[in-house]
Amino acid sequence: MGALGKPIILMVAMYVFIKFVLPNIPGSAPLPSSLIALYLLLTGSGIVIFQTLSKESKDAFWGPMQRFLTGENLGGLQALRYGVLILFPLLVGWQTYGSTAVSDLPPIESRTIHPAPPGEYTGLSNPVAKTPDNIMQGKGFYAAYCSPCHGGNFDGKGPAARGFVPAPANFADPTTIAMLQESYLFWRIKKGGVGLPIEGTPWKSAMPRWEVELPDEWIWKIIMGEYDGAHQSPRTWE
Amino acid sequence: MKPGNQMIKEVLRNGTAAIVAMIIGGASIGYAQESVSVRAALTTGGLPLEDPNAAVWSSAPPATFPMSPQVHWQNRIQEVTVKDVIVRALHDGNQMAVLLEYADPTQDPDDAAALEFMVGDKKAHFAHGQPMLQVEGGPVNIWFWKNKTDKGVDMSAKGFGTLKPQEHQDVKAKGAYSNGTWKVVFSRNLSTGHPEEDVQITPGNFISIAFAVWDGRKDGAGELVEKGSQKAVSSWWYFRADAPPDYSGYMYAAIAAALALGFQFVLIRKLKKGQ
Repeated sequence: MGALGKPIILMVAMYVFIKFVLPNIPGSAPLPSSLIALYLLLTGSGIVIFQTLSKESKDAFWGPMQRFLTGENLGGLQALRYGVLILFPLLVGWQTYGSTAVSDLPPIESRTIHPAPPGEYTGLSNPVAKTPDNIMQGKGFYAAYCSPCHGGNFDGKGPAARGFVPAPANFADPTTIAMLQESYLFWRIKKGGVGLPIEGTPWKSAMPRWEVELPDEWIWKIIMGEYDGAHQSPRTWE
Repeated sequence: MKPGNQMIKEVLRNGTAAIVAMIIGGASIGYAQESVSVRAALTTGGLPLEDPNAAVWSSAPPATFPMSPQVHWQNRIQEVTVKDVIVRALHDGNQMAVLLEYADPTQDPDDAAALEFMVGDKKAHFAHGQPMLQVEGGPVNIWFWKNKTDKGVDMSAKGFGTLKPQEHQDVKAKGAYSNGTWKVVFSRNLSTGHPEEDVQITPGNFISIAFAVWDGRKDGAGELVEKGSQKAVSSWWYFRADAPPDYSGYMYAAIAAALALGFQFVLIRKLKKGQ
């Protein structure tokens, strides 16, 4: 089994590396199974090409496999051979069934969490002076209009949040408002869920369209209060 | 005290059993945590179209969905009575019935509940098909029930303030209250002659569904607390009526297994001959 042992070890090592080691390298991510299968196929093809370069290595590579399949002089491995010969058709049948069966899972909806805002809402700066008074006023407006869903602690866990999907944004999470400019928040608060583009799945967002209820100045103050309360700073390009 | 290697064996055995169970049950583990869809099971023994307490409901798999106060549009509300709805559904290939079950401490004449569906191919906002600014949305079909009248109303809407009963009333509804729990059954034919205003249900296809509930209690001044847009709402979830059983997958699997067996047979024969 010498000529077969190394390829098997190589394939297993390759699989372990791609599946378990690679995703843990910083900046990497788990690979989709189709890509893993492709890499293993390439590895396997490489092994076959290498092993069949000369007549000797070819015989050493295929010989044990042929002997195993034909069952000659197999001795104690005969039971294993029958096992493989029975399991292979069953596996093929099972795979076929799995690929034809109708899925019980609903269609997957991909949602872009921070879709691009319309042009007129990029690069606006907060016209309200950042004074303690204005921040406090903003926090007051936040408590009245935003906290039922986004939470008194700015964590997206307000008493009205439980039924909404997607869940109200958690402003304390560094991947929400800390990644965004103030003008982006101004757009989202003004236009609400119904103002999202199609990739933002606007038909599911419960965010009110506050422009019909609140003056712009209040919205800018709310933005200030949100950043201050959640201990975050708006993203800047400098 | 057990000897060390016996304990290790036991741990290995139990561990293996657990792993096998996880592999076998794998598909259902991720699915069972939280409901994402209502499955209308196919039944042949007569549908409980107007019977919320029929025994056959226990054969329908329950799905639970969380509710929120309606805050999207004014007049909003910040606290509601009903926190979850449990939903079951059945169909027989021609008609369907949906059972809504929820806790409500008091039975009031103004207690009410509703189902909402997207109509047609266009996505509709869950708040009554509220117009979206960048996306052309579709209408919604709302099936409404109120304790006072104890019947179904078939309605259409495309945005708040546009809700109105349809000319063709296709929906039946009936409620039953006991022990602090409402059970309301809604029923209709799977398809109707009015696809522009009614949801059409094709077995096997996923469609969007949402729920609303009003607790008809009154405050100290005798005013209704939950009314109109002041209600408990859910987000969009999925609904699917089971397709008739399809055994073609087994046939394809058997053909594939037979082909693999034949391939093995031919290969081994060739190998034996070649030597």
